[in-house]
Amino acid sequence: MIAAVLTALILPKHPYAALALAAGQLLSALNFFFLEKLVKLFTHATVTRREGGSGSLPGRFFAFAGLKVTLVYGAVAALTLTRWVEPLPFLGGFSLPLLALFLKSLMLAFGSGPNSLVRRATKTAATSGNVAKPAALLLILALFVVHGAALASDAVPPSGTAAATGTHGATEAHGAAGTAQPAEHAAAKSEGGAQHLPNWVILLNDYFPHNPVVHWLHENEVLVFAWLSGLVFLLIAWIAMRRPKPVPGQLQNALEWIVESLDDVCGGLLGSHKERYIIFISALFFYILTINLLGIIPGFMSATSSLDLTLALALITFAYVQFWGIRNLGILGYLDHLAGSPRDPIGFAMLPVMVPVHILGELAKPVSLSCRLFGNIFGEDTLIVVFVGATALLLKASLAALAVPPMLGISALFMMLQTLTAIVQALIFSLLATVYLYMMLPHEEHAHGETEPAHS
Amino acid sequence: MNFAATLGFGLPLGIGLAAIGSGIGIGFMGKGAMEAMGRQPEILPKLQVAMIIGFGFAEALTIYAFVTMFFLQGRIG
Repeated sequence: MIAAVLTALILPKHPYAALALAAGQLLSALNFFFLEKLVKLFTHATVTRREGGSGSLPGRFFAFAGLKVTLVYGAVAALTLTRWVEPLPFLGGFSLPLLALFLKSLMLAFGSGPNSLVRRATKTAATSGNVAKPAALLLILALFVVHGAALASDAVPPSGTAAATGTHGATEAHGAAGTAQPAEHAAAKSEGGAQHLPNWVILLNDYFPHNPVVHWLHENEVLVFAWLSGLVFLLIAWIAMRRPKPVPGQLQNALEWIVESLDDVCGGLLGSHKERYIIFISALFFYILTINLLGIIPGFMSATSSLDLTLALALITFAYVQFWGIRNLGILGYLDHLAGSPRDPIGFAMLPVMVPVHILGELAKPVSLSCRLFGNIFGEDTLIVVFVGATALLLKASLAALAVPPMLGISALFMMLQTLTAIVQALIFSLLATVYLYMMLPHEEHAHGETEPAHS
Repeated sequence: MNFAATLGFGLPLGIGLAAIGSGIGIGFMGKGAMEAMGRQPEILPKLQVAMIIGFGFAEALTIYAFVTMFFLQGRIG
């Protein structure tokens, strides 16, 4: 509905953009129709398998899957490739219903809605506490994150310009759209500055410069790598948890250890509210961790070295925290929290000062979250790029003996540092999300001196 | 005044200053945490969590300077 309003709003000014927006929404709706069918069939199959039935996926599942892939993605690819529609509004239109659905699914999952898939995931994870369940949410999260990233880069053109200094792909996209002149300018300026290490997408683009698929990959490499790392972690979780054993194997043991430590650390903070939020927190943790660690493998890049993705992650966290704040405290309690909980005349007198301060504080959280993650990962990447670039320069000057051994050593050292940063940053992001959540929860029951006063 | 030259001079300096501040902050925090650990080793896990969160906040200030540098880097010319 919001999207319809938006379409109507921009219709007189940019008819093509509005058309693209509408097309995006239509496709998105189609996508969800098929997705719903698929999920229904899939859960049906899983349930029957658990009850001892044969439980193989029915042929209809694959039929629907094939239909969905060809119809939706084919249409998306066709529309973007033929440049009938402007890609940015199209993506925006595509992701708006997704965003709305994300909020709705959150409410459904945690409220009194029907048995959605997420609800099942929540329940089982609360009882068994194994790894594969956060992964279910992770996939959903990954989906929304990347669409959110597209949305974020649509909604904030200045940020796109700014990010263009750093991200090769974003620059390409903006330049191709022909909308952002400053972006091209910045790109031209940043030629001498920091650049990415080549990953396989860039290599592909070098070898097949005119292939439309490769071109699309190259334009959206952040998206591609974000998807990829989500899939990688799903794969890992699936392999580890395919047949959970009482005496765990290596991989299962490792994952269980991570989950349990995360449970200890974040759950200790949240106290009695743990079960409800730990899913989201651990999904954040594993998603960011996978993305970060993917950047260390040569030929891949970490998608978090783009501000778009980290901003999307932070915005999702922000929305989640605010949603739970309102849900837990009620509208009045939430406003009271924003006003700094005035209880005496002085408190009420300070109201005009405290409200803006608190609102600013809330708004600063996503900014600080996203900038921290982006700065750390991008900084590490740049460090390695600089040293690899120096190696290349020395090699060009045919000083291989001087270049290779020490430079390799230094790069390896920085890669160790990068591993550390990747883990610590994933932990910090999820920890801070926990802390923000904790600050939003009703404080009364903590103030009574429970057994767990959390951190203080 | 030459804008690019000023920027080229100021950006690294700004990052350095921010790093000094963060360093002092993290140093104090680490000192306090170490002392507390020495006095009461049994609160180690809780302390570590709080310490890491604090580190994150302190470190963020330098990261802001860093990100600002990336945004303005293209203009140095």
